[in-house]
Amino acid sequence: MEFDNNLSEISAKIQLLKKTAVELKKLGENFPALEKNIARILASLKMLELNISDIVDLSPDR
Amino acid sequence: MRDVQRKDPFPYGDNLCVSLEAVCEFRQTSGTTGQPIYQADTWQDWEWWAECWSYTLWAQGYRPRDRVFIPFGYNVFVAFWAGHYAAEKIGCEVVPGGVLDTQARILKMRELRATALMGTPTYILLMADTAKSKMNIDPSGLGILKITCAGEPGASIPGTKNRLESAWGAKVFDHAGATEIGAWSYECSAQPGGMHVNDAFFLVEIEDIDTGEIIETPERRGKMIITALDRYAQPCIRFDSKDIIEWDSKECACNRTFRLIKGGVLGRTDDITKVKGVLLSPIAIEQVVRGIEGLGDEFEVVVDKVGYIDRITLKIELLPGMEKRRSAIDQILKDQLRLQTNLGYRLEYHEIGTLPRYNVKAKRFKDLREHS
Repeated sequence: MEFDNNLSEISAKIQLLKKTAVELKKLGENFPALEKNIARILASLKMLELNISDIVDLSPDR
Repeated sequence: MRDVQRKDPFPYGDNLCVSLEAVCEFRQTSGTTGQPIYQADTWQDWEWWAECWSYTLWAQGYRPRDRVFIPFGYNVFVAFWAGHYAAEKIGCEVVPGGVLDTQARILKMRELRATALMGTPTYILLMADTAKSKMNIDPSGLGILKITCAGEPGASIPGTKNRLESAWGAKVFDHAGATEIGAWSYECSAQPGGMHVNDAFFLVEIEDIDTGEIIETPERRGKMIITALDRYAQPCIRFDSKDIIEWDSKECACNRTFRLIKGGVLGRTDDITKVKGVLLSPIAIEQVVRGIEGLGDEFEVVVDKVGYIDRITLKIELLPGMEKRRSAIDQILKDQLRLQTNLGYRLEYHEIGTLPRYNVKAKRFKDLREHS
């Protein structure tokens, strides 16, 4: 399936988003509006990881 | 769980696996088997709850065009909270029917032309009965297309499912979850006569009740041992849910590869009781009562002792206009009960509307033997 072929690319983008979110969180330690919204973004990103990245990590060619 | 809770960090005790500051949701169990269990969730856990429910609703055909009415008393019980958030997540329009009474809820559903509904099977039947008997409204004309039932196994019991679907003119789907576990199972739109286990988020095992052996072959009943794979504040690892299930051998027409459990949740190990030396599951009685035309939706089972002998009394309601058929119904009921449960019953007919009605989990089974 075409969708399957894109999973690695999607997963890579998810990891990029996560990296950015974690960096933002560090920058926002004294900035509650940033820190709290990033916490929610990270929770949503975790759901993307469960749905996509975990599947990519489980694939036999990795 | 009960022993470690209500201590520091209060109220979860040292079962809490994150800092108290990370907890943002409190729920508790209904406490039907004793003192309620407190359940902590982080925001990520809560996102996970909504994600699990999203799998359920999407599989049942919920889409952004749906207007979902939730007639649930938003409170300390998790019940339909996550269903609410999941419907939002999918993009549906959600109407919280919180503190409205049943009649006001029906009027609001009609006013807003809701297309979907969530509730316990007992309450959804009560809503239909209220609409018909007290408001002269035919619920099947309200435009509800799908109903998600949870909290009790009724939507997987054919007799109850038929009553629900015919009353509302809607597809009725089952869903199973628990406060300490999460939303682990759902019926899909193919209605395969069972539910899918959400294998992506849960590890479900079936254990032989007597030997503890793990059952992998289909159509052999055991109790469910479940692990939630991504729950953090209070992890759920190899939890004995007391639910009785069995694997289905067939593949589902919906093409999902998540495993199927045949007939949904078939009972609970703590509900099954021995009467006259025979194992009795209240679900078997529900299946019989709800499958007989002429009987109302409600019933009650009372087990007591006459001297040293167990006695089962089944209280049922005869629908108006069915008085002439009473002896025929009586015979069918006795025969079916004998066939399904291998037990004899004393039947007690009540006027329609006089047996207790329940808004949340129904308590229709009363074992008075310990107290008699």
